[in-house]
Amino acid sequence: MVAEPKTIAQAAGVEFTGRRLDAFYWRFVATALSFAVFGCTALLLSVTVLPLLRLLPRQRCQRYSRIVMQRGMRAFIGVMCGLGAMTYEVHAAERLGRPGQLIAANHPSLIDVIFLIAFTPQANCVVKQATFRSLLTGSVVRGAGYIGNGGQSLIMFPEGTRTRPGQPMTLHRGAANIAVRSAAIVTPVYIGCVPTTLTKSEPWYRIPSRRPHFTVRVGEDFELDAFRGMASIPLASRAFNECLRERFEGQLPALNGYTCAQKRTAGGG
Amino acid sequence: MQTYEEIFARIRATLVELFELSPQDVRPDARLLEDLEIDSIDVVDLMDHVRRFTGKKVTATDFRSVRTVDDLTQVVQRLLSS
Repeated sequence: MVAEPKTIAQAAGVEFTGRRLDAFYWRFVATALSFAVFGCTALLLSVTVLPLLRLLPRQRCQRYSRIVMQRGMRAFIGVMCGLGAMTYEVHAAERLGRPGQLIAANHPSLIDVIFLIAFTPQANCVVKQATFRSLLTGSVVRGAGYIGNGGQSLIMFPEGTRTRPGQPMTLHRGAANIAVRSAAIVTPVYIGCVPTTLTKSEPWYRIPSRRPHFTVRVGEDFELDAFRGMASIPLASRAFNECLRERFEGQLPALNGYTCAQKRTAGGG
Repeated sequence: MQTYEEIFARIRATLVELFELSPQDVRPDARLLEDLEIDSIDVVDLMDHVRRFTGKKVTATDFRSVRTVDDLTQVVQRLLSS
């Protein structure tokens, strides 16, 4: 299932001849179909299964909603691969879903959260306000009880929104604060996407010239004791944030061919 | 500790200690967020410190319009004289 790029340029989707590979036109159809399937399924679940679950007491509603979300996301990944829109690989997923775990991931693409939810049992997730309010995703995320409390695994994207391609990551201290104050375990997840797709800078119909390949690698847990012993929590959260940045900057280039900054100059933008 | 200067000095010392800032950056016109990188989560910790050294109850409303170190000093001065 691993698509082995031949050169770094090809891995980045930079095609000097402008050739469109991997059944480009079919992939355009496949991508549009995937959006349609996602939309229809979300809508269907919002009006059938999930409202029924809302009748249950809150704990059970959350539990079952999250099972539905996880299975649904897993199935959707299957649909996208089956249609040929993308390929993917996942490493060390068994480390996801431990109680009290904070999962901090980078956010290159619109669909990376689908991988995390698909592979993390009983996950909670911090979503941005727009998702909470949206007609499509709002009731789904509310039923699943998204926005955290203890005893579960919490997925967060420290960037707060998708990475701006070609620019360094901005890590807001929300995740770092939760990490030093209340997480039992903090696990980074490195998400790579080659070539990039569904980024902040492209509309969905600008599909890449090659089939995108996602790599989701669950990293080593952070050692929290060093931070908890620091003089004050604000200092600890800043130090932790820096540590998080170092980890991402250290691990992501291998998943993406090279760093965003290098990609800009190599590919000419 | 009642004059503006005394309170300001105490606040500067607190900010330097809590956030590892350099004293020369903590001027009255320095903006907490843009200049000193003190975000809303940090402000919660800051409020806790202010509550402890003033011995007065501090609410979110007191801090809502605080943007600069000068604003902060004035809020603390008001709390201490109430």
